[in-house]
Amino acid sequence: MLDTQPATPESAAPTAEAPDTPVATLRDLRVSLSRDGTSSEVLRGVDLDIRPGEVLGLVGESGSGKSVLALALLGLLPAGSAPRVAGQLRVAGVDMVNGAEEERRLARRESLGVVFQDPMTSLNPTMRVGQQVVEAAGSADEAIRLLRAVGVPEPERRMRAFPHELSGGLRQRVMIAMAIAGGPRLIVADEPTTALDVTVQSQVLGVLRRLSDDLGCGVLMITHDLGVAGQIADRIAVMYRGRLAEVGPTRRVLNEPRHPYTLGLLASRLDFDTDRDSPLRTLVPEPAGGAAVAGCAYHPRCPLAVDRCHAELPGLPELPVRPEHSAACFRAEESRDRLLEIAHREAAAADAAKPTGPAEPAEPVVGDATAVEREDRPARPGVVLATTELECRFTVRDRRGRKAPLAALRGVTLDIEAGESLALVGESGSGKSTLLRVLAGLQKATGGGITGPTGGAVQMVFQDAGASLTPWLTVRELLTERLRRPRLDRAERHRRVVAALDSVGLPEATLDARPAELSGGQRQRVALARATIVPPRVLLCDEPTSALDVSLAAHVLNLIQRLRAELGMTVVFVTHDLSVARIIGDRIAVMYLGRLVEIGSADELVADPRHPYTRALLSAVPGLDVELPTIEGEPASPLAPPSGCAYHPRCPVATEECADTLTGIQLVPIGPRPPGPARTAPPSARRAVACVHRGEI
Amino acid sequence: MAALVAGVETPTRSRLPRRHLVGGRLLNHCLLGLVGLVTLVAVLAPLLAPHDAVGTSGQLYAGIGSPGHPLGTDGIGRDLLSRTLLGLRTSWLMALAVVALGLLVGGIVGLLAGAFGGWLDAVLMRVTDLFLALPGTLVAVAVAAALGSGLGNTFLAISVVWWPYYARIVRGEVRALAVRPHVEAARMAGVSTPRIILRHLLPGVVPSAVVTASLDVGSVVLVLASLSFLGLGQSAPAPELGADTSRALPELLTHWWIPVIPGVTVMLLSLVANLGGDAVRDLIARRGR
Repeated sequence: MLDTQPATPESAAPTAEAPDTPVATLRDLRVSLSRDGTSSEVLRGVDLDIRPGEVLGLVGESGSGKSVLALALLGLLPAGSAPRVAGQLRVAGVDMVNGAEEERRLARRESLGVVFQDPMTSLNPTMRVGQQVVEAAGSADEAIRLLRAVGVPEPERRMRAFPHELSGGLRQRVMIAMAIAGGPRLIVADEPTTALDVTVQSQVLGVLRRLSDDLGCGVLMITHDLGVAGQIADRIAVMYRGRLAEVGPTRRVLNEPRHPYTLGLLASRLDFDTDRDSPLRTLVPEPAGGAAVAGCAYHPRCPLAVDRCHAELPGLPELPVRPEHSAACFRAEESRDRLLEIAHREAAAADAAKPTGPAEPAEPVVGDATAVEREDRPARPGVVLATTELECRFTVRDRRGRKAPLAALRGVTLDIEAGESLALVGESGSGKSTLLRVLAGLQKATGGGITGPTGGAVQMVFQDAGASLTPWLTVRELLTERLRRPRLDRAERHRRVVAALDSVGLPEATLDARPAELSGGQRQRVALARATIVPPRVLLCDEPTSALDVSLAAHVLNLIQRLRAELGMTVVFVTHDLSVARIIGDRIAVMYLGRLVEIGSADELVADPRHPYTRALLSAVPGLDVELPTIEGEPASPLAPPSGCAYHPRCPVATEECADTLTGIQLVPIGPRPPGPARTAPPSARRAVACVHRGEI
Repeated sequence: MAALVAGVETPTRSRLPRRHLVGGRLLNHCLLGLVGLVTLVAVLAPLLAPHDAVGTSGQLYAGIGSPGHPLGTDGIGRDLLSRTLLGLRTSWLMALAVVALGLLVGGIVGLLAGAFGGWLDAVLMRVTDLFLALPGTLVAVAVAAALGSGLGNTFLAISVVWWPYYARIVRGEVRALAVRPHVEAARMAGVSTPRIILRHLLPGVVPSAVVTASLDVGSVVLVLASLSFLGLGQSAPAPELGADTSRALPELLTHWWIPVIPGVTVMLLSLVANLGGDAVRDLIARRGR
């Protein structure tokens, strides 16, 4: 389209007259980056148009090349990787591949805005926020106007703040204000909400959507989550291994996807309708090595692959009778029905193979019984781990560098039954990770009591499996060092190690690998094998899937569920994602600023949340057909928690008494009383909520 | 024609960075080989030396290239090549020994301080600070003055002031490693404290400690030579590079090679040590990537 127009580099907006002219045009864009002397093709021919006023959601797993595409659009490919670019890439009429550097710089200044994932690293920490916005906006008045436009409260005051003095959500808003300065024609947003809490995420998404509508600029929204894309994008492009797999209007792609990869992504995505009782649907894992394959890059994972897919590269044709919707698949027309057929067949097979009764949990072998600091006897029959009014305080440096007390836990009373799985849900600063660390014995509580097993009987899986495995030790050494007591002979030890690897689905060949040689999913499996090689009574999981791609996360969640059933473990699973909590937890406990606000069985809590905060959290979870909710405010700082019920400043149903309530912060049982005497009832039998309304809202 | 040229040029250009990489690695291995060669010469010096280093051979002030005396002789007829070889032996082996001992003592102190923290860390680090505060040359002078000059005393004097550097570096590295999640995970997995220190902390410290130490050998060579120059080394007839330079200094204008040869040897030794240290750093950095 743009080829036919005369190139006019002097003019910043040569195509402004035609409203439907794309702001960015990519034609057969190929980018190779080299690392340690070997060059690999990261983008393998991308054709894409971004139109003014539309939000284009670019979705892909890690390694799909979506961030490289963003850098290429900005003309900022890292020179250190010796990028080689072929094909055509025009942004607002400027050739970002072969154009003169000065011309490209002007295009960046005049026509492009960018929002990166982590605003803390992309804002200059030594400059006041105001200065940085003024740099982009030109004048202080304009900067204040922009900050107001993106919803920064009291912009005059925030102008004088340094980036570290702002919350994550505010920082990201400042980045967006800088991105829209000067009225860009295209905003590139690379995972702008991934580092944010879910309630803040929905606010930032709302800002981006509104800006695109108001300013008429195109937005390229890069994300790994189809749900996020579904909430704000007009069109969605799904990327796989440097090529587009499917492009089309959001509704079409989400409701009637045609590429097997999109179908697989959607199937392994968790939402509140996912079946809790059967294993999660997963994609075939990525083939090892990631070597270039002939034909369609997805064919090694594709259940529908035919001979043609091995040999021939599918184009990206527009589908018949579906304008604007195209899929790079030879079997696009039949893929959906075929995959559903396969899924039904598998489900039927799984049902047939299901054991008739629940498997008897194996007696857990308790590791070394080292000195027990806390009481190692059950608080009540059936309860394996119990806390009473647990408190944990730290002294930290606040945003101005002064010492300040931080109350991470402010009285948590919780009974965890043997064999159950409890999901702890909360945003950052809620104290969920601190609670887990106290349960693990990694952190000493400063008040309250805790009863439960210690030592080897409690194991933990960390959020970042890569960092939790010692980099210079082999998998063999990491696993065998847990088998030191009692002394086992070499053959027996080897047998146990291989069995542990096998139980997490890793081959024996993994034994001699070091963590750096494994993929993210494999590392998390090794971490799980390490935690369960001596079966613990309690397995603590600290967001083990939050750093993984959707399909890998589903694999790991299935694995945790299976291990739990096989070993009869109690599982405490910390997550910020309610849809994960609903899958993994029999019960869900919701935390806010160091206190439990609601607890109940997973299905009930998700179907009928009784605390206003739980409601807000639930509405903020991105879903395919979910409208962006309106949630007020951001989580308060745990350095200065609001008095009374900590949620009252954000609560839509707060009353005057909420600010100084004492009863409203206690968990009170609600709902029907379980049959039988109260003392013998298991703790999981009751819903409980900490709210002055007692769940009647 | 143009197509032909382009076709020839393209592969060459794309291979260029890679060849540079291989070249860099090759150079580093050569430099390490040079260090090895110097060590070998030092060890075999008594066999390589053509003459007795202390005994006289009759020919006085023989110039460079004299038959039988490739580097000439000094004012009392001692063979300079033999003296240089044996002096090199003393300097080089002692420098290696000082660094090795420093690494051992400093490493243990730093590892304990870093791994345990608390009062042990405070005590060990204050002791380290105390030793760091001592001026190295002055201590050596004091030791030599108190115990008399000699090889063992010089070694003692330098070692006493050398280990604190390593203690500081190792402690810093260990403290940085100790807060990493893998140490917490190991503790969670029930790994014993000695094993955490030896298997989960120590291997992470080795690269930086080795790099620091290898860059240090050259400095020790220089310090040893300057002490010996001041007369704090072995006593008179023994071959020593620093002492030989200083004793022959009056002859600099008449028979320049007698003081210059040992002096240049010190310079070359320290240069080889530094280049070797750079190579070690390069190779370790590349392996870590």
